[in-house]
Amino acid sequence: MKPFITLTAVAAPLDIAKIDTGVILPGRFMRIRRIPGVADYADAFVHDLRFDEKDQPRADFLLNQPAYRGAAILVTGMDFGCGSSREGAAYAVLDFGVRALIGPSFGDVFVGNCLQNGIVPAVLPIAAVRDLWRQLKEHPGAQITVDLVKQAVIAPDGTRHEFAIDATRKERLLKGLDDVGVTLEHLPQIEAFEAAYRQRMPWRASRI
Amino acid sequence: MNAAAARESRTMLDKIWAEHTIVSQPGGEDLLYVDLNLVHEGGTFMAFDAMRAEGRRLRKPKLTLAVTDHYLPSLNRSSGVAAIPNPAIRNVVEWLAENTREFGIEHIGPDDPRQGITHVIAPELGLTQPGMLITCPDSHTATQGALGTLAMPIGHSNQLRHVFSTQTLWQRKPRQMRITIDGSPGPHVTAKDIVLAIISRIGIGGASGHAVEYCGATIGGMSIEARLTICNMSIEAGARIGMIAPDDTTYAYMHGRQYMPQGADWDRALQYWRTLPSDDNAHYDRELALDAAVLAPMVSWGTSPEDSLPITERVPDPAAVADPERRGRIERALKYMQLAPGTPLSSIAVNRVFIGSCTNARIEDLRVAAQVVKGRRVAVPSMVVPGSTAVKKQAEAEGLDRVFLSAGFEWRDSSCSMCGGSNGDLLGRGQRSASTTNRNFEGRQGPGAMTHIMSPAMAAAAAVTGHLTDVRTL
Repeated sequence: MKPFITLTAVAAPLDIAKIDTGVILPGRFMRIRRIPGVADYADAFVHDLRFDEKDQPRADFLLNQPAYRGAAILVTGMDFGCGSSREGAAYAVLDFGVRALIGPSFGDVFVGNCLQNGIVPAVLPIAAVRDLWRQLKEHPGAQITVDLVKQAVIAPDGTRHEFAIDATRKERLLKGLDDVGVTLEHLPQIEAFEAAYRQRMPWRASRI
Repeated sequence: MNAAAARESRTMLDKIWAEHTIVSQPGGEDLLYVDLNLVHEGGTFMAFDAMRAEGRRLRKPKLTLAVTDHYLPSLNRSSGVAAIPNPAIRNVVEWLAENTREFGIEHIGPDDPRQGITHVIAPELGLTQPGMLITCPDSHTATQGALGTLAMPIGHSNQLRHVFSTQTLWQRKPRQMRITIDGSPGPHVTAKDIVLAIISRIGIGGASGHAVEYCGATIGGMSIEARLTICNMSIEAGARIGMIAPDDTTYAYMHGRQYMPQGADWDRALQYWRTLPSDDNAHYDRELALDAAVLAPMVSWGTSPEDSLPITERVPDPAAVADPERRGRIERALKYMQLAPGTPLSSIAVNRVFIGSCTNARIEDLRVAAQVVKGRRVAVPSMVVPGSTAVKKQAEAEGLDRVFLSAGFEWRDSSCSMCGGSNGDLLGRGQRSASTTNRNFEGRQGPGAMTHIMSPAMAAAAAVTGHLTDVRTL
């Protein structure tokens, strides 16, 4: 996982409510093996919003406008990432080049998948999000800063908004730490737990 | 109640969570032990690819079980996997067989008589037991919470790789919400209608960050099949976890199933299971009460399960909505669904009917649907895809297949099928379905396809009339 410390980048408004993970990564793209450098989900990201039935870019879709090209931050609508638990949706975000999401709310499973893959999901009050949408539309190509150390979003006009993040998750994002490595440091505790568990729940023990 | 008593009163989730906690990070996440990890072919090749690249093996291979369900054809199954015409789909099915062989995981494959949709067969086989912590890379994992199980969705790549490698999971304990359902539902008001009523009331993010416990007399009076339907759609209200306390109905359902403890082990387990239900006075962060007696059969009109209304209503008018974001979303949903405001829901014509999925393809669901179609003919192409091979067999033993076939339904093999269309069972662009599934999102049943979700009885009614229909008026 790539560390995330602070990011200042072009931000795009994606002010559509309830974009579910099946829209973020349509199911038909989930048959593709994602091999770094060979195949990824960049084109799959919100594919059916970006492209029409003939696979041509939809001119009226904001992310297709030149000013927002290369956006690494998206300011999303309510419940972004609700629905299916597909972790591929987080990869689609990542492969499209986005490292931070700012929105009023996100799907719970999707948040877990973002945090495990180096994407910061920052929840801000809806009023703050609306103001970011307005600024990004008035000044296409404007930049936002997401500072994970200070847990702050800095708007194009300099307004600062703080966001909350789990302390453990923050630490792992800052250091780019992988969960498996961290967990295996607890192996003696896991083994001790299993031994005690076998005593307490003998009917579950046969498979442990 | 004094503070000490409040501390001692625990919810079912509190008890199961504590029982599985290995390490607690102060103020943060807990490291939880996973009793059973279920995997299917959807996307899980990513976790296996990562494991292979890192030279890792499963820490406890016997605690993972694989089932093929998402990409499996619902037709021509006897021709075998090699006959799957779409190579991309065939690959995904083959990868699971290869990966489970390589990593030493038990696999319930396409030809196994136990095959079915993961969340249907896990309770059916007795894999799902009260008090267990179960993970599965599927958002409908909470289905299994209906047996008093802490069943959680995980990601199919990194999170699954973590469970494979450690048999554990880092999780922050969610807040807790109790939904109490009382009152006797009227004719043809089912578990599906109740859960759609809940979601339409609180919204698709309404229970985000919460584990939901469903309680009340209505739940207590429900069969396990109906409880599974309720818990199945917890994620459609934003909750990753949905649970129902085990009771005598649960134990009667579980007894004697393949993976259940037997003999003295059963007695000992039962003693433990009886300690699981939430204590009186246990604390919940949120409460919601619902009277099932006032509900009508529900159908969805929009592009989110929260966009559901009683069948007697009309398509909502965005012009009457003050909140600009909500108005915009309704306008967008109606444009996608090609519906005009004010249209009576019961006048919406459909092209296709699908009865299936982990929400509504258990034996009880098929019985109810068969009762509606008996002696009638379908008006539009319609199909039944049983939740498991065992459900299919049971239905055939009861003669339900004949009822469906003589009404003109297709009677297919078990698969996730048209719920998400991973196996190629899709609607065409501009086609509209009445579907017993859990999601009516844009593109869920195919690009440009329109989905109305409802109960099996309501879907059966739509099949015989060709439009959304109040089954009570048939």
